[in-house]
Amino acid sequence: MGLLAYGADGYGDELLDGALVTVQLAVFSYLLAAILGTLMAVLTLKPHGLRWMIGRVYASVATGIPSLLVIFLLYYGGTEIVHALLAPFGVEERPAIPPMAAAVAALTFVYTPYLADLLRSALQNVPKGQLEAAEVLSVPRRQIWLKVLLPQALRIAYPGFVNIWVVLLKDTALVSLAGLTDLIAAAKVASGSTREPFLFYGVVVVFFILFSAATIRLANRQSRRLDRGVRASEA
Amino acid sequence: MTFDFALAWTSLPALLNGAWMTVLITVSVMAVGAVLGFGMCLVRMSRNRALAAIGAAYVAVFRGAPSIVLLYLVYAGLPQLSIVRDTPLWLLFASPLFCAILGLGLNHSAYVVEILRGGLSAVPAGPVEAALALGLPPRIVFVKVRLPMAVRYGLKAYQNEVLIFLKSTVAVGAVTIADLTGAANEIFAMTYDPFTPLVTAGAMYWLLTNGLRLGFEALDRRLNRHLAATVPDRRPATVRRSRPGLSLFRQPLVRRLPAKPAARETH
Repeated sequence: MGLLAYGADGYGDELLDGALVTVQLAVFSYLLAAILGTLMAVLTLKPHGLRWMIGRVYASVATGIPSLLVIFLLYYGGTEIVHALLAPFGVEERPAIPPMAAAVAALTFVYTPYLADLLRSALQNVPKGQLEAAEVLSVPRRQIWLKVLLPQALRIAYPGFVNIWVVLLKDTALVSLAGLTDLIAAAKVASGSTREPFLFYGVVVVFFILFSAATIRLANRQSRRLDRGVRASEA
Repeated sequence: MTFDFALAWTSLPALLNGAWMTVLITVSVMAVGAVLGFGMCLVRMSRNRALAAIGAAYVAVFRGAPSIVLLYLVYAGLPQLSIVRDTPLWLLFASPLFCAILGLGLNHSAYVVEILRGGLSAVPAGPVEAALALGLPPRIVFVKVRLPMAVRYGLKAYQNEVLIFLKSTVAVGAVTIADLTGAANEIFAMTYDPFTPLVTAGAMYWLLTNGLRLGFEALDRRLNRHLAATVPDRRPATVRRSRPGLSLFRQPLVRRLPAKPAARETH
């Protein structure tokens, strides 16, 4: 257990730093994906037209390729992509993309359509009377979205959102292959120099299981709060 | 930021080699996962409390851990044990391919356990009771009645899981196996072209996942052909066309009768 000590003798601090990177990465990508996913769900709500087509093609690409490939693409080619995006505005810059930013952007790119799909079908399952009632009361358009439709859709989509959170958390493990020093990279270094791989990878497994269990527990409590005032169906 | 078609063409053999490795691993893991998953599902559903607890722990550990960590555990961790290092088992565990298939297989099988368990417990009591009343031995009832129905119920969830783990096979790069992503990376390292090899590899992954998806959908149609009495869809056009499925292709405008008996029949 001395190997897990905090400080110069053990690898406790390295592992903790790595875990912090993992958690940061997961939280940032998930929040960004949730915001963009909401936007995408609202924009592609009508199942026809150009926006819907673009949304379908994007979702098909993002869900059809591994996230590690996207991470590599943004990590190696991010500078060129940003340059190509900025060039039309007369900005001739080639900014270096930090690995963390590339990883967050990649995971956001991959997980946005998953969350958008969940939210879109939830929006379609909000009882129609809610929208009609709000329109009859001439509630402003923006208020209808923010105060009537989206909160109810979020409640319906909530279990799916929690699922995706767990999947994304485990997917962050891949970023160590792209050179980010997350928890897995820290464990790899530690087990390489101490020849105790079982111990360190065991710690990583325990961390992932406990952390996802804790977030699921928190989410379930929140879900009960969201569901107050809604009668459970008998079926 | 350009796509170099000439480079894509010349790197095609290397990428196809990598893709073959990805397919090989995927198929092997599916086989390992099916066998392990079936066995552990029986353990998980055992009436013996201790056995059931072991099954639950198996699912919690192997489903909760990211597959790359399981790969490292099998590849770097297990050889720490002398039972692995000093016996003929070492011949197996010295091979990265074996370790990759075992590590991913453990992860996949834990999902199979839960999918199969869900399917088995969704089988209605009626057919099972009918088969038992006809005097069929319990083993035959399980193999011929419960299992086939459970497989049909669980197929959709299994399809999702297989598609997710096909994409997670990229983790085998961690144990020095050159799969499709590894091959693309190699070409990047040689040419410093970040787009062409990765985009080509991405297109191959896209074809693999979508091919597999179409295969599963065909299997689903075939297994559920007794439900082929498709009813014309009379729902409003907006509802009808807004299926949230991930399908890129247009869905036929018919609705399958529900595979599971509805809780309340509406006559």
